[in-house]
Amino acid sequence: VTTTLTGRPAAPGAALALAFALADAPGADQPLSQAREGDVDAEVARLDAALATAGEQLTALAERVAESAGEDEAEIFEAHAEFAEDPELRDQAIEVIESGASAERAVVAAFGTFRELLAASASEYLAARAEDLDDVRDRVVALLQGRSVEVEAPIVRSVVLARELTPSRTASLPRELIAALVTETGSPTSHAAILARSLGIPAVVACEGVLAAVEAAGEGVEVAVDGRSGEVVIAPDERLRTEVADRIEAEEARREALEELRDQPGRTADGHHVELAANLGNPGDLEAAIAAGAEGSGLVRTEFLFQDRADEPSVDDQVGFYLDVLRAFPGQRVVFRTMDIGADKPLAFVARDPEENPALGLRGIRLHLARPELFRDQLRALIRAHRAAAREDVGKLAVMFPLVALPAELFAARNLLTAVAEEEHVSLEGVEVGMMVEVPSAAVGAGRFAEHVDFLSIGTNDLLQYLFAVDRLNGAVADLADVCDPVALGLIGRVIADGHAGGAWVGICGEAASDPVVAAALVGLGADELSMTRVAIPEVKDVLRGLELERCRHAVHTAIEEGGDATDVRALLEEQLGLG
Amino acid sequence: MPERTVNLPNPSGLHARPAKVFAKAAKAAPGEVTVSKDGREVNAASVLSVLTLDCHQGDAITIKVEGDDAEATLDELVALVESGMGEDT
Repeated sequence: VTTTLTGRPAAPGAALALAFALADAPGADQPLSQAREGDVDAEVARLDAALATAGEQLTALAERVAESAGEDEAEIFEAHAEFAEDPELRDQAIEVIESGASAERAVVAAFGTFRELLAASASEYLAARAEDLDDVRDRVVALLQGRSVEVEAPIVRSVVLARELTPSRTASLPRELIAALVTETGSPTSHAAILARSLGIPAVVACEGVLAAVEAAGEGVEVAVDGRSGEVVIAPDERLRTEVADRIEAEEARREALEELRDQPGRTADGHHVELAANLGNPGDLEAAIAAGAEGSGLVRTEFLFQDRADEPSVDDQVGFYLDVLRAFPGQRVVFRTMDIGADKPLAFVARDPEENPALGLRGIRLHLARPELFRDQLRALIRAHRAAAREDVGKLAVMFPLVALPAELFAARNLLTAVAEEEHVSLEGVEVGMMVEVPSAAVGAGRFAEHVDFLSIGTNDLLQYLFAVDRLNGAVADLADVCDPVALGLIGRVIADGHAGGAWVGICGEAASDPVVAAALVGLGADELSMTRVAIPEVKDVLRGLELERCRHAVHTAIEEGGDATDVRALLEEQLGLG
Repeated sequence: MPERTVNLPNPSGLHARPAKVFAKAAKAAPGEVTVSKDGREVNAASVLSVLTLDCHQGDAITIKVEGDDAEATLDELVALVESGMGEDT
């Protein structure tokens, strides 16, 4: 009998495959040996071994996830690893062991103490950490009991069904054997759902009764899943099977079409080349950016090298990373933005006087020039990486300064770069030097800079924030700043024209370029390069290749002239470009 | 033993990344470091313990250090907290 259930859509895509129901995770309700058998020392040794193994496994899992899904998704497992290695948790467990309990009991008790404290908090963030703790606790207990912590996996590609999926269970399932994920509980914002999305696995959550329905249908039943509608069909009949098969085919065709474009350059339908590059935030992004078909990087956010650490990284550490990035993009341009510290991303080891208004304070190039030691080290590392790779087929080094407001800042930074290159006896020939255009004074006065740089890169996020006086992190006002506002598009158009007049190429790095409609408008305004989140590259590439350059030009100029607000302009752009 | 009280300047308090950065620094410090809020004192090197204090922006926390170079360590940790621990302040 065909049964149709509806859950909440959590990750797009469609699938039809055999059902594979995962048994519930063995949790703390497992019988535990209560009293310890050996002496305290032996029991503590067991505890330490289990905690250390759990920490190692979770660190390894974090690395795997970083590679397959990205650094953001891996962060949760890094936190899990830290929980397993927490010194206070260990001390508490040891106290319980000393009172006569087994290591298993001690682990459950120690995790329980922290769980209660966290779960009692009104903060949603802390309450969510309580569930993370259960995940880690179950792993440590399983290790102590000598049980496998590996999740049983299907043998053939299947729709995996479970009551709930902890992040670590989801991440340990072999990707190629999961046709889709369906859970009885959970929400589209749960870690498992986020992970499914970044792995490209269709998923439906909060689908009540699905396990019972599959069990009733018996062994070997097939399940159809639609991750866009949330529909889950158990034992679909012939008509439904055909329908689902068509949907799967359409999704596949779309993916393959985009996949085929991977090694194709970004261009318009009439062959005008526009470099489509990736914004890179950390080393884990590299492989995914290449897989997405990025033509180099228009923005390497080097500040991540400096974040999350108590002291500054050595020049050698920096050289290693810069080389990795250069080697990832042979023959293509790689734009390293010198560390954009301050405002929304201060560093632990750079002491700063408190600022009333950090977004307008000592940040970006201003901090470089005020504290030149860190800046010089970074320039030295970039130059050494360039020298080390001189004989290899690697990416072309470009250096970009953030938050330039006045020509004098640009000149001072350039002079430092030249001085460091001389100290290192390295020629800067072939190394492009440019700046971000994100401060209104630099945008309105782009002509003052263009002759002195190889390129300008418009940072739309900050430019919009400063142009409209809108804090982009403040939800109450964030909507006021929209790149489709004719004032914003007009300004961007003038920066590009001024840049070209001065002999500089002009790129865009900022979230705006990842929206295909906006990307086409920016190309119409004359942008030579668009750098965006790697996820957006295939879609933007596909859309651009279907549009003539003249059509993009006409669309954006018509939209700016007709004016109105951002919503009007966007609608006009969509209409003119035949998108949306 | 030297101690000092600071108001947390960063928006997410001692949660997420700031908690991690703070505990890491406390762990690396030569002495024993504790942090307390509203009279509850915990081991500052333990992310879990720090999290349970549930410290929000503007909360007053007291950092205490015992051991070698306690004053210097305290200065560093206070500076770290005041800098926002990797967050916009």
